[in-house]
Amino acid sequence: MRRPVQTLLLALTGTGLLHVALFTDLYLRYVKAGLRPPLIASGVVLLLLALAAATRGGVRPAPHIGPGTPSGHGHEQPCGDDSDHAHEHERLREADQPHGHDHTGTPRIAWLLFLPALSLLVHAPPALGAYTAARANTKPVAVHKGFAALPAASPVPLTLTGFTERVQQDRSRAVAGRAVRLTGFVTPAGEDGGWYLTRIIFSCCAADSQTVKVRMYGRQAPPADTWLAVTGTWHPRGTLGTRTAEAALDVRDARPVAQPVNAFTDDLPLTPS
Amino acid sequence: MKKADDLVSVTDGVAAVPLGPSVRRARAWPLGAALALTGGATALLLLAGTQWLNHPAVQAWRTVSLAITVQALPFLLLGTALSGAINAFVPADLFTRVLPRRPALAVPVAGAAGAILPGCECASVPVASSLIRRGVTPAAAFAFLLSAPAINPVVLTATAVAFPGSPAMVVARLVASLGTAAVMGWLWLWLGKEEWLRPLLRHRHTGHRHGHSRWTEFRLGFQHDFLHAGGFLVLGAMAAATFNVTVPGSVLDTFSGTPWLAVLFLAGLAVLLAVCSEADAFVAASLTGFPPTARLAFLVVGPMVDLKLIALQAGTFGRAFAWRFSTATTVVAVATSVLIGGALL
Repeated sequence: MRRPVQTLLLALTGTGLLHVALFTDLYLRYVKAGLRPPLIASGVVLLLLALAAATRGGVRPAPHIGPGTPSGHGHEQPCGDDSDHAHEHERLREADQPHGHDHTGTPRIAWLLFLPALSLLVHAPPALGAYTAARANTKPVAVHKGFAALPAASPVPLTLTGFTERVQQDRSRAVAGRAVRLTGFVTPAGEDGGWYLTRIIFSCCAADSQTVKVRMYGRQAPPADTWLAVTGTWHPRGTLGTRTAEAALDVRDARPVAQPVNAFTDDLPLTPS
Repeated sequence: MKKADDLVSVTDGVAAVPLGPSVRRARAWPLGAALALTGGATALLLLAGTQWLNHPAVQAWRTVSLAITVQALPFLLLGTALSGAINAFVPADLFTRVLPRRPALAVPVAGAAGAILPGCECASVPVASSLIRRGVTPAAAFAFLLSAPAINPVVLTATAVAFPGSPAMVVARLVASLGTAAVMGWLWLWLGKEEWLRPLLRHRHTGHRHGHSRWTEFRLGFQHDFLHAGGFLVLGAMAAATFNVTVPGSVLDTFSGTPWLAVLFLAGLAVLLAVCSEADAFVAASLTGFPPTARLAFLVVGPMVDLKLIALQAGTFGRAFAWRFSTATTVVAVATSVLIGGALL
């Protein structure tokens, strides 16, 4: 890989990272929010590397010529060292100094880095959605000993996980008859025309995503991947407060909402203002 | 001769990676793999039209492979920067003075030293390679390479958070990872052959050279290592994303019944999914149908062997090394997990 291409690649990767992490919120489609500072720092470091490579080039005159070093012509090689030249260096270096150092031969595997760099800059893939959620198992909820009293608000905003825990573990049956509001996107359930309200949760990045689903009853399935705020009451199936209870909702009202900023966490939605 | 001098002067002041003629051979396979991937993708595009690109599976694949790459880039930068700094700034005899002289003793010490590198597995590969270049015995460097991503405080804290109420899992992970790292180091002392390593790693003491700017050496070494390892990272991320998208979650449950099958299955899953070591505890915690020992195997194998690591190691240490080392590590890690899991969980 030629030097100017290396410089371009570093600059593109750095700009791509800054584009998704600093100037937009696109990075939230791929990684958890906590990775933002390291991503911005990486973008800056890569841009600095590119800048240094562009201004200083691959070479700097050695401060003084050490023994065994070929007498230096300090000037920079014009940016045209193609692979033939690079191999010539290698041969010459090997001849001169068996333990020589050479960075001109950056492997061609580095070309692959252009894919994520350009992806980030011009064609960022969409967030994971119904396709992934439909094929995933439901994330098991943590076991709780006790539950705090439900807030008095009606409807009560709950996360999908929170609702599932209440339904399956809360012996006091606090959710019985209460109107709750859940937010998530639509995942069709299959042939029977039913659907789930779902959230995909990252621990670190999209590769470790887990899915939480709550079954919806009493309304036709909206198009897949639509973000909804659904109000309703628990759909009585199984015994409330035990593992037999299904995490399901009788839908009373479903309103389309914008995708929350924190779409891939297990929290109440923060909608963009 | 003027021409030759000019050419030689280009390479002045650069550090760390000598390239021999054999590098050309080592380069050929990732290029071949990349060409095959591109060729296959183009052929599919031609056959199925561009509608294929908008298929949700393809989009999910792009999202997951980009996510793995983006998530790993900061750690890879940290690792390659450290590796560049070790080459340019650390005195050559520092590591040989700090580590015990006998390699058999240096192995566990280096393994325990892995606790100080906070980050996931991508950072440890370039650091281990620079340690070898600075004269650390490869066995000790490999023990460090294996233990660092699994036993650092960040990862252990994440494990404790993911398994609330079962601190035994954290202890078992620490012990089993350290044990595997040490056994692999000793195994290398016993059976390892240096010719499996790429030629550049066989030349020791290749750090700072007299008469050259340390900063330029650092910058060029950093840049080279990052571009090199980054390419392999992308290759590994694409392979891992393929399995991530094509293996449906429902397959998981079929293997959870038989204990020994469950251990092997989760160890294999850890290799294929390539989940970052800071997040794998959460994935393991979600595999509730599996016995604890199988989940421990997932946590021990994952940071040591996975598709993106194999790609990174093949690029850094050589292909002959990568497949032998990964196979042996998987076997040792599974055996250690079963032993430790049986005793502690």
